[in-house]
Amino acid sequence: MKKNTRRSFLGLLSAAGVGWLAAGLYPVFRYLSPQQAPDPFGKDGLAAVEKITLADVAKPNMGKNGGYGGRGLIVFRNAQGELKAFDSKCTHAGCNVEFEATKIYCHCHGGTYNLDGKNIAGPPPRPLTELGVLEKDDALFVYRLGGARPAQA
Amino acid sequence: MTPDYEIPPEAETQLPPPNKLTGRLSRYLLNRYPVWPIIDHLSKKVVPRHRDTVWYNMGGIALFFLVVQIITGALLMVYYRPSQPWASVQRIVMEVPYGNLIRSIHNWSANLMILTLFLHMFSTFFMKAYRPPRELTWLSGAVLMAITLLFGFSGYLLPWDDLSFFATRVGMSEIERAPLIGHWIAGLARGGADVTVDTIGRFYLLHVMVMPIVVLTIVGIHLFFVQVQGVSEPDHFAALPPEKKRYHKFFTEFLFSEAPIWLFLSALLVALAAAWPRTLLPEADPFAAAPLGIKPEWYFLSQFQLLKMFPGKVEMVGLLLWSLIPLGILVVAFVDRSIPTDNRGRWTTRIGIVALAGLIVYTIWGWLP
Repeated sequence: MKKNTRRSFLGLLSAAGVGWLAAGLYPVFRYLSPQQAPDPFGKDGLAAVEKITLADVAKPNMGKNGGYGGRGLIVFRNAQGELKAFDSKCTHAGCNVEFEATKIYCHCHGGTYNLDGKNIAGPPPRPLTELGVLEKDDALFVYRLGGARPAQA
Repeated sequence: MTPDYEIPPEAETQLPPPNKLTGRLSRYLLNRYPVWPIIDHLSKKVVPRHRDTVWYNMGGIALFFLVVQIITGALLMVYYRPSQPWASVQRIVMEVPYGNLIRSIHNWSANLMILTLFLHMFSTFFMKAYRPPRELTWLSGAVLMAITLLFGFSGYLLPWDDLSFFATRVGMSEIERAPLIGHWIAGLARGGADVTVDTIGRFYLLHVMVMPIVVLTIVGIHLFFVQVQGVSEPDHFAALPPEKKRYHKFFTEFLFSEAPIWLFLSALLVALAAAWPRTLLPEADPFAAAPLGIKPEWYFLSQFQLLKMFPGKVEMVGLLLWSLIPLGILVVAFVDRSIPTDNRGRWTTRIGIVALAGLIVYTIWGWLP
């Protein structure tokens, strides 16, 4: 019994040490962990398009790079006059793609998508994320596809 | 005054005479700190003289570049602001006297340091200096090599220009591909799902504080190992009869023979920085399309090219192929044996030649437009 006091004391001390270390490291871990990015879409399900005006996509085959909620996107009008929007993050390595009249192209590694956002050549493994796009108060807004379409003003 | 420690008799014969200032100073110190055995050990350190002696300079040259990096890096920190990354670098380049020179020297010295470390590593490899009992020296060097590459990667983002932004985004997406922990590590490094100014804060801290402390500590350990064990002798030299072996004394003959190299390299750095200053592209725009011809720094080109060759679903193959090199570096010191005629030794050399040739070919291939 007596023989074990020293050993059990050291065991207790190391257990306390581990607990102390964990208690100290947990806040540090939480502090360094990335915070959840805010949802770019507002309560009405819409996100304002930045750096692209209606004039930039006035006619068919016009398109431009811009942003929404801190992310990059492209908006263009296809040959049929339909407005299209895609998140511009290339599904391969995360560069921003560019609208090039007949295709969507990524300069980093030559990833190519058709105007429906489908990956047709180069390294991208998946299609681009398509966004719903609408005109409201002379400005462009995007919304998440798949849910209910937000009411148009 | 009573001395606390006696000066050993053999020290007395080697110290400068006591009537000289250096003699008095060395006796003053040795009376208080009994370090004569250490000094004696260091004064006996020798460097083998043979046809490959020039490669022994590489470690010292890398150390020279490290010192240049610390000095120029500290100077850049005076004006760099992580909250206004691009504007503050533009100020360094456009307004601060000699700012462009100091920034460009920092860039050139970083590149030459990495090149020197590659030469240091491959010369150590082909001279088989990694074999027992020097495995841990080799491993600590491998860790230093990896951290130096991370230094390059983290420093690349800090100017926050078009190229550095997208290059970092691509680099982080490579890290994300690592199985299981890739996403977690990339998120932790970026401070979010994407590269933002939050990422700058993290990279800056790593670049100017965490990694320098780690590197200086491991460099200390690496040099301590080398001092204790002495310089490795390649097989062709070790096989010579003792009377045919010639050595340089390290202190101070070999060390001072490096002084002209340091002077030359200082001049070279200034010349390179003046002739080819580091460019600063337009400020990063997270909304804009990626710029044309985006490529990583030359020391990441081989991975870049290999990943390009295995797109989409077979990308894992490229990643695995490339990871064979760091894996080989880690295990070779424990596989190869210190027997000159051993078959394993021949095979590690052959594999090393293939790996080196592959690295060079893929780097050039990736560099071509």
